[in-house]
Amino acid sequence: MSVELSTPGQVLRATGVSAGYDGRAIVQEIDVEATPGKVVSVVGPNGSGKSTLLKALVGVVPVLGGTVSVGGTEITNLPPERIAKLGVGYVPQIDDVFPPLSVKENLEIGGYLLARHDVAPRIEAVLEFFPRLKTMMTRKAGKLSGGERKMLAMGRVLMLSPSVLVLDEPTANLAPLVATQLLEEYIRGFADHGSTVLLVEQRAKAALRISDWTCVLSGGRVVLSGAPRDLENNPVFVESFLGGGAARH
Amino acid sequence: MSVFLSSLGFGLISAAVLAIATVGFTLQFAVTNVLNLAYGSVMINSAFVTYYLNVHAHLNAWVAMVGGIATGAVASYLLNRFVFTPFQRRNLLPITIVIVALGVDLCGTFGLQAIVGGSYFSYRQSLGRELHFWGMYFSTLQLTIIGICLVVMGLIHWLLKHTRLGKAMRATSANPSLARNSGVRTGHVISMTWLISGALCGLAGTVFAMNTGVFEATSAQLYIVLMLAAMFLGGPGEAYGAMLGALTIGVATELSAGFFNPQYKEVIAFVVLLAMLTFRPYGLFGSEKTI
Ligand SMILES: Nc1ncnc2c1ncn2[C@@H]1O[C@H](COP(=O)(O)OP(=O)(O)OP(=O)(O)O)[C@@H](O)[C@H]1O
Ligand SMILES: [Mg+2]
Repeated sequence: MSVELSTPGQVLRATGVSAGYDGRAIVQEIDVEATPGKVVSVVGPNGSGKSTLLKALVGVVPVLGGTVSVGGTEITNLPPERIAKLGVGYVPQIDDVFPPLSVKENLEIGGYLLARHDVAPRIEAVLEFFPRLKTMMTRKAGKLSGGERKMLAMGRVLMLSPSVLVLDEPTANLAPLVATQLLEEYIRGFADHGSTVLLVEQRAKAALRISDWTCVLSGGRVVLSGAPRDLENNPVFVESFLGGGAARH
Repeated sequence: MSVFLSSLGFGLISAAVLAIATVGFTLQFAVTNVLNLAYGSVMINSAFVTYYLNVHAHLNAWVAMVGGIATGAVASYLLNRFVFTPFQRRNLLPITIVIVALGVDLCGTFGLQAIVGGSYFSYRQSLGRELHFWGMYFSTLQLTIIGICLVVMGLIHWLLKHTRLGKAMRATSANPSLARNSGVRTGHVISMTWLISGALCGLAGTVFAMNTGVFEATSAQLYIVLMLAAMFLGGPGEAYGAMLGALTIGVATELSAGFFNPQYKEVIAFVVLLAMLTFRPYGLFGSEKTI
């Protein structure tokens, strides 16, 4: 597999970040650091604030306290389009494509910041990555299956060759095999290529398998974090996330 | 039969004017989420700028129209910048903007009336030769309006489907947050949308006044009903739907005017709109915002 699509990374760092909606903090005092060549994953129960945290990092939700930086440049509360320009690519958990636009147009918008003559070659490169999309270029994104749609969402974000990838549950709705492939080949591949990956993943086991570092979010706070090996040996973590009573997936 | 054909002819011209107006109106709604009920007052104010350039500055009406177009563009841009955006920023209920727009419409229309008075106006312009085919009569002026409409629809199609700005407008309409995450400066895209749709509004106002022949400050006041009907018929926020909706409403209202009473145009449009909202709430063709 070719992994020339993302660019070697920059450090994405959140320091003491609190963020939320309408001035009310949902996540509080979060410290996370994602570094080039590594996959950092965030796991936690539904509603624990994982998506809110990612949105705050990419400028979609206001940061109420703390700082966010990428490659040493502070990006706290910059407009999302500025953060995109700095090389941070973000795939949201929902609303991850432009439904009325064709697959091709979705990719073109993904490459909005590219020079005009770079767009078509980049689409070709992205299609090498997701060949399934080749046959559906004129189809509206809203008419894709869940899996095809996720591929398009990933394809869209790769158009700008981001150096930092922020992915919110990229495997949701995917068949188990496809999900595993996406995580273990593609997403791990970006990191192995030197990109920075910050990933929210529902399935803790799968997340641990490809991560270099994992944070557990609960009630808007990081309650546990560590290397996968350490978490696997942590009885609390195992009980809550990996196969104890409240196991998920 | 002859009533039918001549009404059909009128219908096509009305549809042309309505299509230009509704496409601008629907673009505003699709891209910026503002249901700009002040559209009619910007139309008629633009028509009056054309009038002053035509009658007082002695410009050819078609040249004067450029002034009307510019007025529509600038007025709409400023309206968004200084009225709609500040209200939108405050995260009020969406209905607030509608009420604000309604207020702006009244101020725009009656402010104009305060300036120009209650009398009637017409452009200094010849209707041109009368042409006659398939039992329908058209003046050269009317055919020109239809021609302008076709050119404008072609340009809008080209803008939306083949330009970077047009695609960014559609992306902003579909998913503004994701558009920004993709690097699109949606604020800029929205400003451009107001300029473009405002230009359409100014153009629509001028051809509307040309087509009615005699107009006054309040002439476009009920026009919003036709535009809403045409827009909902095609599916709110759909540019192509607006074109087809305008054709349907334009022809339906003129046919009814031919057979019943011209005063009931807006009523007919409203009946069509109500039927639409009852049976196909997303429009004849659409299921969601899909410009
Ligand atoms: N737009 C919003 N406005 C107000 N509150 C919100 C908004 N979005 C999310 N929340 C609230 O913030 C909290 C955290 O939501 P968030 O989406 O970050 O959780 P999550 O960890 O991503 O959950 P999931 O695993 O279900 O995706 C929830 O209580 C949710 O109700
Ligand atoms: Mg989430």
